[in-house]
Amino acid sequence: MAATSQLPGLSSTGPGLAGAAASTGGEPRGRVPAPILRAFRARPSTYAVLLVVSALLFTPFVLMVSIALSSDRTTAAGAFTILPGEWNWQNFVDVFTTDLPTGRFLLNSVIIATFSALGQVLSSSLVGYAFARLRAPGKNAVFVVVIATMMIPAQITMIPQFVLFKELGWVNTFLPLIVPNFFTNAFNVFLVRQFVTRLSNEIDEAAQVDGLGYFGIYRRMILPMLTPVLIAIGIFTLTATWGDFMGPLIYLNNEEDMPLALGLQYMTSTTNDLQTPPWNLVMVGSIVLTLPMIAVYYLGQKYLYEMNLNGGSAGVK
Amino acid sequence: MTATLGEALGAVRDARRPGAAGRRPRRGAPRQRLTRRGRQEAGWFWLFISPWVIGFLAFLLGPMIASVWYSLTDWDSFTAPEFVGLDNYVRALTEDPIFWKALWNTLYYAAVSVPLGMAIGLYLANLLNKQVRFRKLWRTLIYLPTLVPLVATAMVFKMVLAPSGPLNDLLGVFGISGPQWLLDPNWVKPALVVLSVWGAGGATVLLLSAMNGIPREFYEAAEIDGAGPVRQFWAITFPQITPVLFFNLVMGLIGAFQIFSQVYILTGGGPNNSSQTVVPLLFREAFEFYHFGYASAIAWLLFVVIIGFTAIAFGTSRKWVFYETEVR
Repeated sequence: MAATSQLPGLSSTGPGLAGAAASTGGEPRGRVPAPILRAFRARPSTYAVLLVVSALLFTPFVLMVSIALSSDRTTAAGAFTILPGEWNWQNFVDVFTTDLPTGRFLLNSVIIATFSALGQVLSSSLVGYAFARLRAPGKNAVFVVVIATMMIPAQITMIPQFVLFKELGWVNTFLPLIVPNFFTNAFNVFLVRQFVTRLSNEIDEAAQVDGLGYFGIYRRMILPMLTPVLIAIGIFTLTATWGDFMGPLIYLNNEEDMPLALGLQYMTSTTNDLQTPPWNLVMVGSIVLTLPMIAVYYLGQKYLYEMNLNGGSAGVK
Repeated sequence: MTATLGEALGAVRDARRPGAAGRRPRRGAPRQRLTRRGRQEAGWFWLFISPWVIGFLAFLLGPMIASVWYSLTDWDSFTAPEFVGLDNYVRALTEDPIFWKALWNTLYYAAVSVPLGMAIGLYLANLLNKQVRFRKLWRTLIYLPTLVPLVATAMVFKMVLAPSGPLNDLLGVFGISGPQWLLDPNWVKPALVVLSVWGAGGATVLLLSAMNGIPREFYEAAEIDGAGPVRQFWAITFPQITPVLFFNLVMGLIGAFQIFSQVYILTGGGPNNSSQTVVPLLFREAFEFYHFGYASAIAWLLFVVIIGFTAIAFGTSRKWVFYETEVR
């Protein structure tokens, strides 16, 4: 790429910062910055469009904060403004002291998401390691089945699973939401398998010579090297279970068992027709629901990029 | 995730090939010992993958078989199921107007929201692929909505789409008096599309990383040949990123057919079933009316629709997805 950087008749115009050039053209440091090609030249209109689009996309966030800071009187009247006009920070305290157990909702979300992520990390690492390293007759056929299971939509198994969990007496417990995660899923198995396949075999062989069994190799050699992929799997599972609405809706009917995602919907539906839902508190709840996802994404971003899995759809599915 | 999809297909291909990669050389070992060790290794293999095997049997294969059986019965979950043959399927396809309405609404939603989201995502990715200042900031702002859990998104959009909400205020600036959105049978589906477009930034980030992988030489050559930015986009950028677009199309369609939370929270399928889609309908039949047999039949019909559209997407991919180079 660097070899072709000098083209006659093209001079560097516009915001031709060397840093910016490096991010697009892959120009090595210390060289003359490549001239900006016409396809990459930013015009004032580019900035205008980006500004308008960003403002539009950001408006719901501003509205969210504005409603969250509204007084009860404004909420009852429904007289919200896009930009915050009132600053009732007390709402952030009140949401935990209303008659609805919002603190409990939050705790439930944390419990369900944490154990689900733990289950996926444990089980996917075991299964993925075996598919990458151990030999057994029929292994490849089994792997084809693993991949094929990705195509089955959840709606097919939803009703029989409900019947199963009802028979087990697990309805109105967290178990139907947590336990299946300890039996892994195809996508995570696949991720771990690909990751282990890229690791050198020599480590295993050296460990084997030193007398480690297969479980020892997995536990002491492979597992420590799986950190990036396991963090990525942990993040996927956390975001999926944290935002999950349908699962809790099916299995959890008692107020005190609900995770926050379901609790928010419950907040808006419990009030009778004459009352307006406490939208200011619902928005506080929405912010509380959203912030951990943004935090998890930013803390884990590095690992997601490492896995080449950036841009998964955490929100819109 | 695009690279991963390609790898998934590659892995299946590898797995089918005898003597596939990932095997260690085992020359020199005596035959007898090898079999004993081999058997032991196979035993460990099955032990290690037992979580998946148990999960597969208990939570997937078993339920799938049960689901086929339920779909052939009339069952309210309290009394014994009664075998009715294909009645549930016949009822859905010929007698239940709400099923057809829900299916039509789902198709409408998928057909509008997926291409629109892709077009907007692509347009924004192309803007960010230029040498803009504060690129990281723009990218973050565009990606941020996809991090918001659906329930929170639905709550906010209930306010955004309120008759006197910000969206109608904005339209008012341009002299347009906005519709009632969620309360208007004609506008409730576009309202759901608006909500989905808010998350178009997910595609932007994927497409942007694909655009970064396009060799610069292509643009330099086009530049010398006198091609303008628009021509360069259609002749170079677009063909190079078609695999990512294809991935987005397939995943987007599958996701759109399964839309649930937005409909359930924002509209409940109303007004007058004008926003009822297949999964909320299935949910209502199953968990509100306890028609487990009928709901199972709907689930299989949805599966057929999803597989059908995925197959169509794969079928047309030969014509427009560019796979000649290593670029994925």
